[in-house]
Amino acid sequence: MQMVKNIFIALLVFWFSLLLFMPKEALYYALEKQLETKGIKINEKAIESGIFSLNLIDADIYYKGINVAHIEKVNIFTLIFTTNINVKALSIDGSLKAFVPEKIDQANITHMIFSPMKVNILAKGSFGDMDGVLDLQERTLRLDFSNTTKEIDLLRENLKKDEKGLYYETSF
Amino acid sequence: MKHLFKSHMFKSILSVLIILLLVKIMWMVVQMLWLPSEGVEHKEKVGAKSLYYRVKLTPNEASAPKPVIDKPVQIAGSIKDITLVAVYNASDTTVVTITYKRKSKILGRGDVINGFTLIGGGSTYATFDKDGKTYQVNLQKAKRSSAANSSITPSSNQHRTISRASKRPGAAAQVEGDVVDAGDHKIVDKSLIDHYANNMDDIYKNIGITEIKKGNDLQGFKITFVKRGSPFAKLGLKRGDIIKSINGQEIDSYSAAFNSYKNIKNVENLTLVIIRGKKEMELEYEIN
Repeated sequence: MQMVKNIFIALLVFWFSLLLFMPKEALYYALEKQLETKGIKINEKAIESGIFSLNLIDADIYYKGINVAHIEKVNIFTLIFTTNINVKALSIDGSLKAFVPEKIDQANITHMIFSPMKVNILAKGSFGDMDGVLDLQERTLRLDFSNTTKEIDLLRENLKKDEKGLYYETSF
Repeated sequence: MKHLFKSHMFKSILSVLIILLLVKIMWMVVQMLWLPSEGVEHKEKVGAKSLYYRVKLTPNEASAPKPVIDKPVQIAGSIKDITLVAVYNASDTTVVTITYKRKSKILGRGDVINGFTLIGGGSTYATFDKDGKTYQVNLQKAKRSSAANSSITPSSNQHRTISRASKRPGAAAQVEGDVVDAGDHKIVDKSLIDHYANNMDDIYKNIGITEIKKGNDLQGFKITFVKRGSPFAKLGLKRGDIIKSINGQEIDSYSAAFNSYKNIKNVENLTLVIIRGKKEMELEYEIN
């Protein structure tokens, strides 16, 4: 019994030290390098590193050199077995508002190690509410829309409809 | 000997410290070997863009300040005496039927009436030139329907436009305006520019543009198709043209292209430098 207890404590210490010493900024830079290969760049005013999280303050998102959006705050929180990315106040650049809804007030992207091939997405914005799943195994993305506003019309030609309402589906 | 610490407690603390140390070393190795020390920053090009002006040095059209002379101003409204009844326009010829002083006349390109020279036309209008100024006269029918919106307004570039295309309420998505050939340059209706500035999707229905890359570097944008009869075809753009610059701004990145697109509503003149075949060409437009 003592042995089990010791192993458990050792694992707990290992897990905590992994989080504590995790080079979060360097890992974020590695993510930036990956995004760069897809033409995406993020310019942030400040990076704040915590024990379990990393905050990006005032981030400008560029796609192929074009400033497409500004995010007030991004919080990346991880306990290794679960990771959550919280996006607060994402505003689309004014020149693109004819094509996509202008604002996402809050978005949550969650990954759990217990279902490693699925990423859950929740968002609330000027278009209404969105709830989706990114399936890495099936390589599909499905986003369901509810409580939609008039701004959803900007996306309507890419949306389908079923008994649950409007949804967007794509594979990659 | 008296023990200050319980040995198993000391062992536990030591084990914890060893785990912490090992993890710290592990992360350090990972960071040194595989993780970058700095992030990716987007940098805007600085100093590449200059202010753009189109200066005409032709004596007749020189825009140098002139002394004010008190003499009766000739009202360009005399073009009003010309009513366009019918128009036939092809790339090499324009034939119009007009009424002038209650008489019908047929004019070909280059013919003069009341001092106005017929220089071109479109499907619903004809363009005349007088003293270096260009005038657009719409078909009689179109003119009536747009009476409320008709205007005779001198533009800043010594051109006058008569009776613009009518604007129907609620038809914002419909393409309005046209491109008029004025010889050395083309006159583009502002409503046409406004339409495409607000409806990017409509651009790609009429013209295909693809990037040209050399390795990872973007070299420019190539036109892959131009819809026949579309405003883009009337602009003189052809399949295979490579767009090099817009109003002096080199189009060598998506950012530069998008910035030009974003500012298109605010320009009065537009100069496109293109490469057609092996030849560099300059296409000039006036937005009116």
